[in-house]
Amino acid sequence: MLQYMIILLDDTSTSFCHYDVNTAKKRLINLDDLRAGIRMAMIENLTIQFVYPDYDLPQEYRDVIRTIDHSDIKPLTNATQETDVMTLDGWSWHVETQYLESRIVVIRTSLHDLLAHGDEVAVLLSKAQRLNVVITDVERFSDDQQVIYNEWLGKMGQEVERLYVNGTLPQFNLLTDRMILMTMNNCGAGNSCITLAPNGKFYICPAFYYENHEDSVGDLVNGIIIPNNQLYKLDNAPICRNCDSWQCKRCVWLNRKMTLEVNTPSHEQCVMAHLERNASRDLLLNIRKHGAFLPETPDIPKIDYLDPFDNINN
Amino acid sequence: MEKKLIGQVTPAERDEIKRLFERRNGLNELAKILTADNAELYERLIADMGETATKFQQWWEKMATLYNWESLPDGNWEINFDTCEIFLNRP
Amino acid sequence: MYPIKQESVEWQSGKAKNITFIVTKDCQLACKYCYLVGKNDKERMSWGTAKEAIDYILGHETDFPEESVVWEFIGGEPFLEIELIDRICDYLKVEMFRHGHHWFDSYRFSFSTNGINYHSEKVQQFIEKNHTHLSIGITIDGTHAKHDLNRIYKGNGPIEKGSYNDVVRNIPLWLEQFPGGGTKVTISSPDIPYICESVLHLYSLGIHEVNINCVFEDVWKDGDDRLYENQLIQLADAIIDGEYYKDYACSFFSEIIGKPLDPKLHNENWCGAGKMLAVDASGNFYPCTRFAAYSLREKHPIIIGNVYDGIDKNKLRPFLTLDRLTQSPRKCIECEIASGCAWCQGENYDAADTSTIYQRSTAICLMHKARVRANNYYWNKLYRKLELEGEREQFENNRPKLNDIIC
Repeated sequence: MLQYMIILLDDTSTSFCHYDVNTAKKRLINLDDLRAGIRMAMIENLTIQFVYPDYDLPQEYRDVIRTIDHSDIKPLTNATQETDVMTLDGWSWHVETQYLESRIVVIRTSLHDLLAHGDEVAVLLSKAQRLNVVITDVERFSDDQQVIYNEWLGKMGQEVERLYVNGTLPQFNLLTDRMILMTMNNCGAGNSCITLAPNGKFYICPAFYYENHEDSVGDLVNGIIIPNNQLYKLDNAPICRNCDSWQCKRCVWLNRKMTLEVNTPSHEQCVMAHLERNASRDLLLNIRKHGAFLPETPDIPKIDYLDPFDNINN
Repeated sequence: MEKKLIGQVTPAERDEIKRLFERRNGLNELAKILTADNAELYERLIADMGETATKFQQWWEKMATLYNWESLPDGNWEINFDTCEIFLNRP
Repeated sequence: MYPIKQESVEWQSGKAKNITFIVTKDCQLACKYCYLVGKNDKERMSWGTAKEAIDYILGHETDFPEESVVWEFIGGEPFLEIELIDRICDYLKVEMFRHGHHWFDSYRFSFSTNGINYHSEKVQQFIEKNHTHLSIGITIDGTHAKHDLNRIYKGNGPIEKGSYNDVVRNIPLWLEQFPGGGTKVTISSPDIPYICESVLHLYSLGIHEVNINCVFEDVWKDGDDRLYENQLIQLADAIIDGEYYKDYACSFFSEIIGKPLDPKLHNENWCGAGKMLAVDASGNFYPCTRFAAYSLREKHPIIIGNVYDGIDKNKLRPFLTLDRLTQSPRKCIECEIASGCAWCQGENYDAADTSTIYQRSTAICLMHKARVRANNYYWNKLYRKLELEGEREQFENNRPKLNDIIC
């Protein structure tokens, strides 16, 4: 069931996920479309997340946005005290930057750069309310990189543990989400979440819009029509439905890009998610050595595979 | 030609003779196209043909002894690969 | 021992990798039901591409762990490229032996031909050279009228020329060389009135195994299912009354069809797409020939790699994890006569609302139901006959194992 509507306010709205914004040409959503999108969200009981470009919106847009409860996703360059989610693209920013504290911070980075910036990640963990790391080159993750990524996750786990011992438990999507989850908690694009683009049409997620504007799943006049919508649901994803890497984004756009099917994750996405799951397992065990922690949450079981596809096909 | 059911082998035993049978056929058909010009492969082929023929014969002798199969001086045994049944063919 | 002849089980069924060379997209015929929408005489496989494909496949033995291999050659009409095929097969034999490849001990060369140039010298030389490893099926659709209804020569002239005479003359030679040879018959809407007479005609030609299926495409008209049922019941009467069931098999009638399927125990995919591998003249790999461009009406081809860069295993994951329930609509999952209802992954993809292999086409639903009704009639009639003749118990005791046929 749909629960969220993402509204891209401009073609240059910041990316907060795996996709790149492939245009520098500004195009604001039509004001009437914005009103209609908000109205639809109110009628359908959808929570709105507005995604902003790096410039200030005209006053009339801000007035319309203010008419509804919502979350703001903004690039660092345009963040304010009210920003809920702040996006950082790469590592050309300073850890003392304003507004990092007590925000949800999204960092988009290549794996190579991430591994080289562990110190900055450690600082962010101590400052931000929550840190979401989005690795933008999942498709290039090779089996050779497994060891090095695993080691990096281990080091970050030690940092989280240190912070916990000192009295705070940071939220870090790669390590702490799996510790507290009891079921799958994926991105939900096409299932619980839909995107309204600046052209007034709906898309499975922003990535589908930027990849191909023709790939819409409805508009504000005719409503949302997602053909084969069952394929966005967990039950119809043979590899994922029995998987317990519950923190995995299960990115349907990456799925389609890599395997040509929205319900089938690539080997790379599965292995990364399982390395994170296993690192979460180690972290949970280590934190529990310091005393009771989430006593109602069971241990994460030990498993002997990194790609659940192998279980289906062996 | 008369055909008489005289015994049965296990699936594992059947697989062994089936593999040898297939290999023998493969070698025979390879022999039609491989010439002595390709000395190294040709020698391997000749050696393999001899070795496979020997193993093939040994399988029949071993099974005949194991299961005490009936035989005839001018008859021959035959296996049904689907059922693992052994037949004695008499001319 | 068995009073009822069963369809023969496919060679190494379930244990063999099927690797298909699309050697040409050309054919002498322009069959009206042919799913190959992009046939042409330009795309012929070169020896260089074939060799690259073989080198890649044999050089990656661990990626192909199947016990056996079926090297399949299709077109168009494969025997148009007999010289290339001969060269490919020779190279395969030498290279499998040279590599010490496990497939040297278990391989077949398989062909589905229209039979027109079966008697030619080059084809016959090839058969003689590779006889113990060959599986050749000639497609003949039935009576002269039925065959020529669809299987006509290509050409733009106003007069259609059927191919029956040119095929039927080669049937005796083929059966002499392959006595157990079976034929594949395809049924589309205009063929329905000819089904019964066609099967009996094929039996009369000495073909003991007739495998028939309805096309998966949405070609059916209102009332076709009733006509189909009537034809199959006529055929059932003829087979039972004429006691053809003792020595002849027809895939229409099977004890395993028309039963409900358990969602957990019977959740496997029907189609073998993805477990197979096809390569075309461009050197592209496909999960099955049906995903090549020349087979598709509406969709882009699904290319899973090529002979130079190898196979992209990510593109195979959807095929290898596909199951019955995930791709089936509710009506199929709840269907009480679901067993034996087949599907073609390629047609599913081509007919789907989105670019997915996970949407099952149900165009043959009514035809399957009609087949099940006729099938019920067949077995009720046959069992009663066996009962009255005192042979039923013997049949029950010796009931052979049945295997699903994978296309």
